[in-house]
Amino acid sequence: MPVNILGIRHHGPGSAKNVKAFLEQTRPDMVLVEGPPEADEILQWANHKALKPPVAILCYQPDNPKHSSFYPFAEFSPEWQAILYARKNKIPVRFMDLPACHQFAIEEEKRKEAEEAAAKAAGADDHTGAKEILNNGRSPNSDIQSNGASPMQLGKHSRRWLHNNDAGDAAIEEDAEVSLYTDPISHLAKAAGYADGEKWWEHMFEHRMNDEAVFEAVMESMKTLREAFPRKDDRMERLREAHMRKTIRQAEKEMFRNIAVVCGAWHAPALADMPKAKEDNDLLKGLPKVKVECTWIPWTYRRLSFYSGYGAGIASPGWYRHIWKYPEDDGTRWMAKVARLFRENNMDTSVAHVVEAVRLAESLAALRALPKAGLEELNEAVLSVLCNGENILMSLVHDRLIVSNAIGEVPADIPRPPLQLDIDKLQKKLRLPASADWKDYTLDLRKDTDLQRSVLLHRLQLLQIQWGNKQDIGGKGTFKELWRLQWNPEFSIDIIDKGNWGNTVEEAASKFIIDQAGNATGLRHVCELLEQTLSAKLPRAVDVLIQQVNNLSAATGDVIQLMEVIPSLVSVSRYGNVRKTDAALVAGILESMISRICVSLPAACTSVNEDAAAQLLELFYKMNDAVNVLQIQDILAEWQQTLHAISGNAQAAPVLAGYATRLLSDYKILEGDALLRAFYFAMSPAVSPAVAASWLEGFLKGSGTLLLVDNDLWAVINNWVQHLDDENFMHVLPLLRRTFSNFTAAERRKIGEKAKGGGVLVSRKETTAFDEKRAAQSIPVIMELFGYGRANI
Amino acid sequence: MSTVLRQHAEQLFAQELEELQKNDSNKKPANWKLSPQSVVMYLTGGKLNNGFEVSPKYIGNKRLMEIAVATLTTDRALLLYGLPGTAKSWVSEHLAAAISGDSTMIVQGTAGTGEEAIRYGWNYARLLAEGPSEKALVETPVMRAMKDGKIARIEELTRIGADVQDTLITILSEKTLPVPELNTEVQAVRGFNVIATANNRDKGVNELSSALKRRFNTVILPVPDSMEEEIDIVRRRVESFEKVMELPAEPPALQEIKRIVTIFRELRNGASLDGKTKIKSPSGTLSTAEAISVVNNGMAMAAYFGDGQLKANDLAAGILGAVVKDPVQDKIVWKEYLETVVKPREEWKDIYRACRDLD
Repeated sequence: MPVNILGIRHHGPGSAKNVKAFLEQTRPDMVLVEGPPEADEILQWANHKALKPPVAILCYQPDNPKHSSFYPFAEFSPEWQAILYARKNKIPVRFMDLPACHQFAIEEEKRKEAEEAAAKAAGADDHTGAKEILNNGRSPNSDIQSNGASPMQLGKHSRRWLHNNDAGDAAIEEDAEVSLYTDPISHLAKAAGYADGEKWWEHMFEHRMNDEAVFEAVMESMKTLREAFPRKDDRMERLREAHMRKTIRQAEKEMFRNIAVVCGAWHAPALADMPKAKEDNDLLKGLPKVKVECTWIPWTYRRLSFYSGYGAGIASPGWYRHIWKYPEDDGTRWMAKVARLFRENNMDTSVAHVVEAVRLAESLAALRALPKAGLEELNEAVLSVLCNGENILMSLVHDRLIVSNAIGEVPADIPRPPLQLDIDKLQKKLRLPASADWKDYTLDLRKDTDLQRSVLLHRLQLLQIQWGNKQDIGGKGTFKELWRLQWNPEFSIDIIDKGNWGNTVEEAASKFIIDQAGNATGLRHVCELLEQTLSAKLPRAVDVLIQQVNNLSAATGDVIQLMEVIPSLVSVSRYGNVRKTDAALVAGILESMISRICVSLPAACTSVNEDAAAQLLELFYKMNDAVNVLQIQDILAEWQQTLHAISGNAQAAPVLAGYATRLLSDYKILEGDALLRAFYFAMSPAVSPAVAASWLEGFLKGSGTLLLVDNDLWAVINNWVQHLDDENFMHVLPLLRRTFSNFTAAERRKIGEKAKGGGVLVSRKETTAFDEKRAAQSIPVIMELFGYGRANI
Repeated sequence: MSTVLRQHAEQLFAQELEELQKNDSNKKPANWKLSPQSVVMYLTGGKLNNGFEVSPKYIGNKRLMEIAVATLTTDRALLLYGLPGTAKSWVSEHLAAAISGDSTMIVQGTAGTGEEAIRYGWNYARLLAEGPSEKALVETPVMRAMKDGKIARIEELTRIGADVQDTLITILSEKTLPVPELNTEVQAVRGFNVIATANNRDKGVNELSSALKRRFNTVILPVPDSMEEEIDIVRRRVESFEKVMELPAEPPALQEIKRIVTIFRELRNGASLDGKTKIKSPSGTLSTAEAISVVNNGMAMAAYFGDGQLKANDLAAGILGAVVKDPVQDKIVWKEYLETVVKPREEWKDIYRACRDLD
């Protein structure tokens, strides 16, 4: 009863080739693969036509989907090849790792212990903070990452060889020490004269063309390593290996005669050397347990790579796929791909370039005594021949070829959470395919499909599934939206998580928002929700939110809070008609809110200190804009009355009174003599200079042009300044400077010129206007030129 | 020999080349003195099988040297590109010395370099007396290199006018140099190749035409990665100069070199080493080569005018000269640096005082 143990490197194309060849040669009647036994059932899908790697098995706790782990497979993963072989030859295949139900439960315990410990230790905050940064890909799911990445990564990356082949926090905590910790593989590599353990492994086991006895060699070397560098006693690892052995014993008991076991190289010796069954059984007895479900989800190469925050992975999935598909390629086919990519991006690349690049790569390989040019040689050749030594273009090669943007597919008939099904359906219907590469969509909300797309994206955003990212768009129309869409495999988790709220996107979003609205206490937060929800076309949620806004605004005595939310509400009511949402509702609450503000604002402007006044001034400014945008006569009249009250109130903060006066003059309510009178009054010598200057600051806020154009006003201010005595002038100078420094440079210069010229404007005002929107349009081009275009946005 | 001010690489390192040749077991391309592996070893240093120590000529990324050497084994020419003072010419000289045993086939590119400096010229007296003939022909280094199967070096390729640059195209692609006047041609012998250097900082360079660019593999030589690397470079070069120039001063203290390198790095990167203080950068490039010359200069000063010990005073003038290239702008930059960065450093008091005294 031979049990063949195949120690592999996860996602190693060479290992995959060896495994495949080995299985075909020995024809086992049973295949055991390192992975969660819960997923045994869904292995039946593995050779389904529509299941296209990269895919991952997702294990999650149905009652808490945030606890989950991913087991990704690429075409070139040895495990995948083993599973495929078994399915094709109709022999049983099983996963043999410690069941995820125990793993999750043990981690949960650990986490609780850690939390308790952290709570005890004062100042532990930054420690846990650092931990989170280390292990998360995306902050909301930090614990997914720590669990998820780990089970499949052993042996994948030598630096983590020892440390991450088990799950969870323990490994991560050690992470900081990893660099200090000696990496055992590098010992072997050093002995073989390589600087880097990773490279040694590649040349030794991955890139070789003949596979004689390679598994024995792996086993032998790992055994030596495990003896020479026994790892710290780790309960999880012992449990995992015990369970693997248990599964092997079980298979033997079931009278399978020829068992092939595919596991990470590090575990191979532990499985070959069987202790007594009782020891393992004792170890595995009484483990805690939680409920776990499994499904297939599409995965991406980018997620497989190092650079995505995923704990460990392989640096170059695109390249691995290439050598998996074309093991005989001497670099020619790869170079042709590179050339094609460059041409697609409008860079002249001739066949002669390709020829030279391949030759250089070969010479480099010969110089380094390698049998064949590897990725490094090819990259260096590309850099030197095709890119003229400039690194910028290499980032393109890296993103598109070395990592590549492939995304997997799973068959539609795999059982899936209903919310996921609904999203799939909508994606198909609205022709918004999920892709690993980002793509921009400009939506014209006047068109029905685009409107529906926008509604879907907004709803997903409400559900915190950040598939679409809304971008700023130029132009004055409010009917256009620009979205950047990029699918991330981990959305599957969010979707399962949010599936608790409802079975369709609409239902889930609506319920989720209503729940949030119920829990919200800040008016501002609710208004932001309202703004987003209006775009998502969720009438029930909108009703609830409006109710909530009304309740909260009635309860709050804080004018500032009310004023803060007015601008966003105004923009909501303005967008209403294009979006076909019921904006009238919003207009209703707006009116009542503005009335409330108008009533209490004059009082709020009195006896405030300078900082508070400055804050109020900004709100004032925005509020005024909002009122202007709204263009409702009643509200406008009410607002103007309020301004009157403030400007005439001697107790009001001078800066606010000044600004109110100025707004009145803008509305042409205070003009000519009346305006002069108001100014003289505020500037009269009886008023202390500091107060006067502060009033002036408010009065001139935002525009020095008034000073330039209105000669009466000019004369008034000029006289006032001239008649200040030295002491008072010194007193107000800083305040005046503060006012004037807010003007644009051109305005200040003109004012200076005008003062010099004795009150006569010397020349016309220049425009220094700078059209930011037009300037912003050029930014993508510039980013592209610098090579940041596709990579980093 | 010893009276020569500066010896060629192949003379200075004759012994190393000889030892490498003796121990060379790899295959040599035609007309190469050493195998590619040995050339890389010569450049990056190492220990031979017989225990002979080869000194490193290029300190930095070994892979760059491998690319350079691998390029020369193919029939593409090599273009070394980089800031002034990043050892482009130095590498080019040593490559030529190691591969052909001769680094003297050199054309200095200037705005005034004409076709006759690259292809061939005429001895006009002879031309008038005898008419066009082989004897009236004046060979250029490039032509000689082609005939002998050696490496020709072209310095500052991008300074040469675009029309003259393009005369290289035939030489590099067809490996031949036609002489229509005599109805003959010179065909390159195996082993011939071209190493050109160009710098990417200067204004007014003549960009290579894409036809010519295609004939070159480009290797960009970077400024040193780390502080330690730069210090190593400066120390080694200064020590070798010391040998050449017979400076009697004591070997420079590592401390002094470290300070110079620090100053140069900080000014070049626009930030203090700890990254806390922003610093304005002067208009010059402040390469490692300049750091080397400052230390050399300082040693000469110490030897002839001081007490033979390299001190801050001896270095101050050199630093000032290297940093302040533009008398108005750079002076401000330097003063600001001196006051904000150098002054607060407790152990840098001597340098601060020495530099202040120069103002």
